[in-house]
Amino acid sequence: MIASHVMPAARDWILSGVAVTVAAPLVAGGLAALGVADRFLRPLSVAAMAISFVASLAIALAWQVTDGTPVAFGAASGDGQLIFIDGLNAVLLPYVGLVLLAIVLVAPRRSLESAMVKRLLLGAAATFALFATSHPLVLVVLWAVTAQLTWRSTRVTPGGRPAARVFAISMWLALACMAAGTALLVADPPWERSSGLMGTAGGWLVAVAVMLRKGIFPFHSWYPALFSGAPMATALAATMPQVASYTAVRLLVGHADGVATELEFLALFALVTAVYGAALALVQRDLRGFIGALAMSQSALVLAGLSGRLPMELNGAFCVWISSGLAITGIGLVTWALESRAGDISLETLQGRFWDAPALAAFFLLFGMAAIGLPGTLSFVADDLIVSGSLDDQLHAGLMVIASTVLCGIAVMRCWFHVFGGPSAVDSPQHAILPRERLTFTALIAALFVLGIWPGPLVQALEKAAEQVLRAPAALPPPPLAPPSIPAHPAHGAATQHLFPGSLSIMTAPSVTKGIFPC
Amino acid sequence: MSGHDLISLLVIAQLAAPLATLAAIGLPALADRPLSEASTTRLVSIGFAVGFLSAVATLAVLAVRGFRPEIVHVATWFAVGHHEATIHLVADALSVPYVCFSSGLCWLVNAFAGKYLHREPGFTRFFILLTLFGAGMNLMVLADSIDVLFAGWECLGISSALLIGFFHERSNAVKAALRAFTTYRICDVGILTASVVIHRAVGSGDFDRLFGVNWPNGTCLVSATTATAVSLLLVFAALGKTAQVPFSGWLPRAMEGPTPSSAIFYGALSIHAGAYVLLRCEPLLEQAPLARAALILIGTGTAIHASLVGRVQTDLKSVLAFASMTQASLILVEIGLGWRVIPLVHVIGHAILRSLQILRSPSALHDRHELAAALGGHPGPSGSWLISILPQAWQTHLYRIALDRGYEEMAVSRFVAGPIVRLLERAAALEKAWIAWLAGESSEHRR
Repeated sequence: MIASHVMPAARDWILSGVAVTVAAPLVAGGLAALGVADRFLRPLSVAAMAISFVASLAIALAWQVTDGTPVAFGAASGDGQLIFIDGLNAVLLPYVGLVLLAIVLVAPRRSLESAMVKRLLLGAAATFALFATSHPLVLVVLWAVTAQLTWRSTRVTPGGRPAARVFAISMWLALACMAAGTALLVADPPWERSSGLMGTAGGWLVAVAVMLRKGIFPFHSWYPALFSGAPMATALAATMPQVASYTAVRLLVGHADGVATELEFLALFALVTAVYGAALALVQRDLRGFIGALAMSQSALVLAGLSGRLPMELNGAFCVWISSGLAITGIGLVTWALESRAGDISLETLQGRFWDAPALAAFFLLFGMAAIGLPGTLSFVADDLIVSGSLDDQLHAGLMVIASTVLCGIAVMRCWFHVFGGPSAVDSPQHAILPRERLTFTALIAALFVLGIWPGPLVQALEKAAEQVLRAPAALPPPPLAPPSIPAHPAHGAATQHLFPGSLSIMTAPSVTKGIFPC
Repeated sequence: MSGHDLISLLVIAQLAAPLATLAAIGLPALADRPLSEASTTRLVSIGFAVGFLSAVATLAVLAVRGFRPEIVHVATWFAVGHHEATIHLVADALSVPYVCFSSGLCWLVNAFAGKYLHREPGFTRFFILLTLFGAGMNLMVLADSIDVLFAGWECLGISSALLIGFFHERSNAVKAALRAFTTYRICDVGILTASVVIHRAVGSGDFDRLFGVNWPNGTCLVSATTATAVSLLLVFAALGKTAQVPFSGWLPRAMEGPTPSSAIFYGALSIHAGAYVLLRCEPLLEQAPLARAALILIGTGTAIHASLVGRVQTDLKSVLAFASMTQASLILVEIGLGWRVIPLVHVIGHAILRSLQILRSPSALHDRHELAAALGGHPGPSGSWLISILPQAWQTHLYRIALDRGYEEMAVSRFVAGPIVRLLERAAALEKAWIAWLAGESSEHRR
């Protein structure tokens, strides 16, 4: 009853919210492009991103009063629609908004020149639009727009041409695979019985495109290159939202019965990348290389979870998506703040920056801990979910996640000790932290800890989203424990029910398993 | 209020008090408004005092009730689908005396450190890490599941590493901290994988589904194979925290930290965390002769190693570190032999003595002169007769081995850590070359 009264208004709120979220950075980017806002670029960009963030929060709140039916608007193609909001992007839009707002708040003054701000804001508008659609062709176009803006920002940066070239090679390949794969998927969906070779080829091409765009081994080279050569704002804005993960959810995970082999393939390579990236992070010789390798590892972990077969695995992947994104954004921004004061930072020797910048040291440590699963942070919950989900599904996946987490932990502490430990120069100046930096870092830390200590609402919202993505009957009441007609899971006594003819199964009923998995 | 409710309240207080203190001193520091030294020490003192007094009261209530174990459901953290993350604690004859001892020791060390670190630049940082350690210790000790236990274990590892590197301007302190953290993290694989095995075996991490939580009379509820696998993994996890061969290299270096933290971590509590976990899971060890044999073997080997190496150390803190290692090894041997109460008594006795020795170490010369005056001469080193019965050539050989710390660190560095690091560096170099080629920089790089 409540839903029927509230739903139309909520739907309007959501659609209006999407419009405002996309329009605010678009208009601000336009103003920056016209050169009419050169004297107040920071207020302009902060205001635009703040409006987008508030509007995306309004979308998330409005979603809570709907009956859980996705809100769709505009032209449809395949299974996608021009504007499509469900439980997943209702949560992800505020996440993207927070990341982008944090970037423009912390950006050092000299980085905020007109062209940079223009590309950042237009890129933000394209990213928001991408996260609000499920239309395959719109996804392809927005992939191209976001990649082009990132490439351009990198290319015009002094010393950024090599990184831009590596990025361009990967993105051109990714875009070609994505465009061809999407066209084939739309023409001949592999999840329909009549599907033929075209649909299968389409699934594989989109899988390869996702690997390229996400920097999955062996297509990962652009990830460290971008972090080394691009401005930090560009690198973070290009990687932290994880547009390829979102695309994978819409085009592959949402049709898991048709592309099961492709998802297994993605999961395997993602797990290898998670471990390999963490291992590379251990031996990086500069701070940006470390952040690139760490981000690559964590991003791969998200894809590994997305390729899972259980809502809990997807839920864990969504949580890692948010927790690692916020934490690595924090690490990146602290690094940027540090670099703006002290230049490039090597990890080959102890840099002794603690004395120079104790507040930045504290925030770096907290973000680092939040990235590796300190108890009480969201990443602890995320790791618990993703490992527990993996264990229900495949043991080797759980063990590889553990290996990745352990290596990431050592890498983060090595980095912290190398940057902030060691003797400092006698005459080195002390760098005070700016109020806007402190505000941003505190807000990000607060989000990570509050969601870690009180994860219930977020995790439950993401669970519903995961069930929706997997087309599980989320609204149905759970069946009774261990019903005699359904065979019990050998390990846990949990009942399984095959949702898709073929290979995949979704755990729906279940005996309770308990755990706060550590990592 | 029933007895169970009272115990629940007291047990939660043991955990909540240090956590509340952590928030009370940590949040102002994060906002660049750190509390004064007096307020900081007072708050920390109150936190540990509440924890200690709650533990003593719990012990009294438990004693009245015949030490019947009580499971305390603190909260359901989150529940999704068939997965439920709950925080269960246990008050029994093992956990509550241990919390009394650990909270009491933290309380005393806090009083000492307040004076010792007066006007030290990292004063607030020290107490933040001390309360994080205290909270983690209580969480680990009171845990009734492998998952909650790991959360506490993790807090111990992080606070320990950060306190070793407390004097961050000293390169040696930073390197020692990183070495300790790396060792902890490698050995964490054991506890994490044990958690995986436990979850797969019984569908949850709760100890009461693995063994009857009725210390010291628990009974194993899983198959011998599962018990052996979990026990071996827990033994591996314990080796790192207890500084057993081949993971012992971090302990003498850990003395780079401030004296109060060295006392409480490496003389008293952190060094025995592995022993506590093994004591908690003793019913599993009972069904795992292989794991017990491994404990006896490694413990005996480390005890001999540490005893020999400790005799040739030239600074007092290193001597105390190796003495700690020796006693921790003997405690592991006792656990391997299947004893239950004796190792617990040994842990408490050793921890109290060793932390006192470390706290007094800055005044060691003064103490030694006083002792010599009282005895009418300097007392010789203990156990010298054992060495003296060996032939002279052996003694020289042993001396060389001891000076090189049994070649343990050299072997680990040359045959394990070195090859792995070189492999990873090679991979990173290949990555760079590949990226340079993609970027069209290869010829320029060659030039």
